[in-house]
Amino acid sequence: MRRELIISLFLLVLTIGLYFSLSLMEDPRAAIFPKVVIIIMGVLSLALLLQSIISRGKAGKPALQSDRIEEKKNPAAQPSFPIGRLLGCFILIVVYLVVMERVGFYVSAFLFFIAVTFLLDRKGLTLRKGGMRVGIAFVFTGVLFLLFNKLLVVQTPKGVFF
Amino acid sequence: MAEFFEYLPLALTLTNLLTLTLGVIGGLILGATPGLSPTMAVALLVPFTFHMDPTTGLILLGAVYTATVAGGAISAILINIPGAPANIATLLDGHPMAKQGKSQTALYMCFISSLIGGLFGMLIMILFTPPLAKIALKFGPSEMFWIAIFGITVMAGLSSGSIAKGLFGGMFGLLISTIGYSPLLGVPRFVFHDVLTGGVAIIPALIGLFAIPQVFSLAEKLDVHIERPDYKPEKGVLVKTFVENLKMVKALSIGSIVGSIIGVIPGAGGQVSGLIAYDQTRKFSKRAASFGTGNPEGVVAAESANNAMVGPSLIPLLTLSVPGSPTAAVLLGGLLIHGLFPGPDLFLTNASVTYAFIGSLVLAQLAMCIFGLAMSRYSYMVMSVPNLFMIAAVTVLAVYGTYSVQNSFDDVIVMFTLGTLMYIGRNFGFSAAPVVLGIILGPIAEDNFLKGKLIADTDVGAFSYFFTGSMNITIILLCAASIGYSIYGEIRAIKKLKER
Repeated sequence: MRRELIISLFLLVLTIGLYFSLSLMEDPRAAIFPKVVIIIMGVLSLALLLQSIISRGKAGKPALQSDRIEEKKNPAAQPSFPIGRLLGCFILIVVYLVVMERVGFYVSAFLFFIAVTFLLDRKGLTLRKGGMRVGIAFVFTGVLFLLFNKLLVVQTPKGVFF
Repeated sequence: MAEFFEYLPLALTLTNLLTLTLGVIGGLILGATPGLSPTMAVALLVPFTFHMDPTTGLILLGAVYTATVAGGAISAILINIPGAPANIATLLDGHPMAKQGKSQTALYMCFISSLIGGLFGMLIMILFTPPLAKIALKFGPSEMFWIAIFGITVMAGLSSGSIAKGLFGGMFGLLISTIGYSPLLGVPRFVFHDVLTGGVAIIPALIGLFAIPQVFSLAEKLDVHIERPDYKPEKGVLVKTFVENLKMVKALSIGSIVGSIIGVIPGAGGQVSGLIAYDQTRKFSKRAASFGTGNPEGVVAAESANNAMVGPSLIPLLTLSVPGSPTAAVLLGGLLIHGLFPGPDLFLTNASVTYAFIGSLVLAQLAMCIFGLAMSRYSYMVMSVPNLFMIAAVTVLAVYGTYSVQNSFDDVIVMFTLGTLMYIGRNFGFSAAPVVLGIILGPIAEDNFLKGKLIADTDVGAFSYFFTGSMNITIILLCAASIGYSIYGEIRAIKKLKER
């Protein structure tokens, strides 16, 4: 299992990096507890590394994630991983957070709702369906406004609008 | 018991009853929605309770916790997708019943047996929690430190396919909890960016770790379409089902007893209780061969067990800070933001809130049954909400929930970063629950570790202080047993796969 080997190596490097970062602390007494935790993390990443090496050594020997083994056994049954859509979702959220700081919570929430429903799935999008999505976005944001602004009276991120 | 009745009226105020009703209805809807896990639902709700009175806030969280377990059975029965892991056993006979045109009977049976099992579990909780809390009062720093570690070992075994990955997640959570200024010395630790100056608060971590991976998972499954289930309501089914349900004494008894016993064992969880109760009922049934083909006894056993588990699963949480399930871990976060520190002192320092909370859980079981029965016929509507809308709604609520706690945009960045990392980690077999528990139990573990070390340095030495004494040894053995049992489970799973 190459991915298991890569992840365990990554964890080991991360643990070593964290251990050395302890020396940056002004007072060594503040590092006592984190040091114990990092040492245990190091032992566990070594155990994972060993496990993946043993699994690799024995051809066909399954790893511990049984569901993933089932997937590997029947690659035809696996749907292709929608990396583009996931990346799109990630970018939309980042843009939403950036916009929210400038235009405020409610306007950005409305725009985000529309962006997600229009950009992530455009299959069979008609004027009627599009109108419905805008309507739902409007109702959703309206309900949030009434709930947070009028009923609970709590502060939401402010921007140039409200 | 006397304290329970003394503080019960606090749960019966108009505001609290209204909150409980809303929580139960919301919990049933969230539980029935495929793609939304009950744990994430409770995590998203925690910030909403922040501005509420502690009793009201906890009543809301308790009601949602209770109702999501039962609500998950709706999608299990109607569309063969369990709303929560606790409902896996329900679909074995529940969905075949639905396919035979008995959706209404199956759903009614599910809610009636959930109520009976749930009330039995609550009785066990009310009887056993205070005595256990009295025992836990004798715990010192070393025992409390080991209890925190025990909680992490339990969750590591429960939530991940690999105990090593689960434990790594738990330790990573402990490390995250140390980010920010050291509470004892006031020096910065792991502050690699200004955003981390205040440390990682519980709510942003909870929401990020549970909600953001769910958002990406929903984006993965946009192409999945769920067929509209067949549900034909008929008159007179309720009374008939109720009588029929009460006649299944064996299935109800096995389900309630198994659920309560397994619930009280930290980490065993509802999924196991439902499956064990189902298996035992089948073994004792005269119609064992019909299990899996739509035998109502299967639904009754599974549902009475997974709801009987709810009350007892809170016994270790309230007395020792060890949650019995991932949802209970989130509930622990809810208790902490209201200044309630689960553990032996809880029943002394916050008796009114604690007992009112327990009382509300009993009421939530009743409300769950009433609203579950009433909402059965409309439940298909919940299942037809497209993933696109859920992605947008969950993200917006996650952002609001995170921001609202401290009005801090930095928290939103921390939440989103942790959530994205968790999504990547999940694809490599890591679970969110041990990390969350590490973050929650981190301060308890560190505080007691340092206190213990101070005592040990001036007294008997660190080894004797932490590794001797009957209580320390018992908890260390429990930690070892928890890890050992998980390793045994992994080896058994590998052997089974090899045999196949």
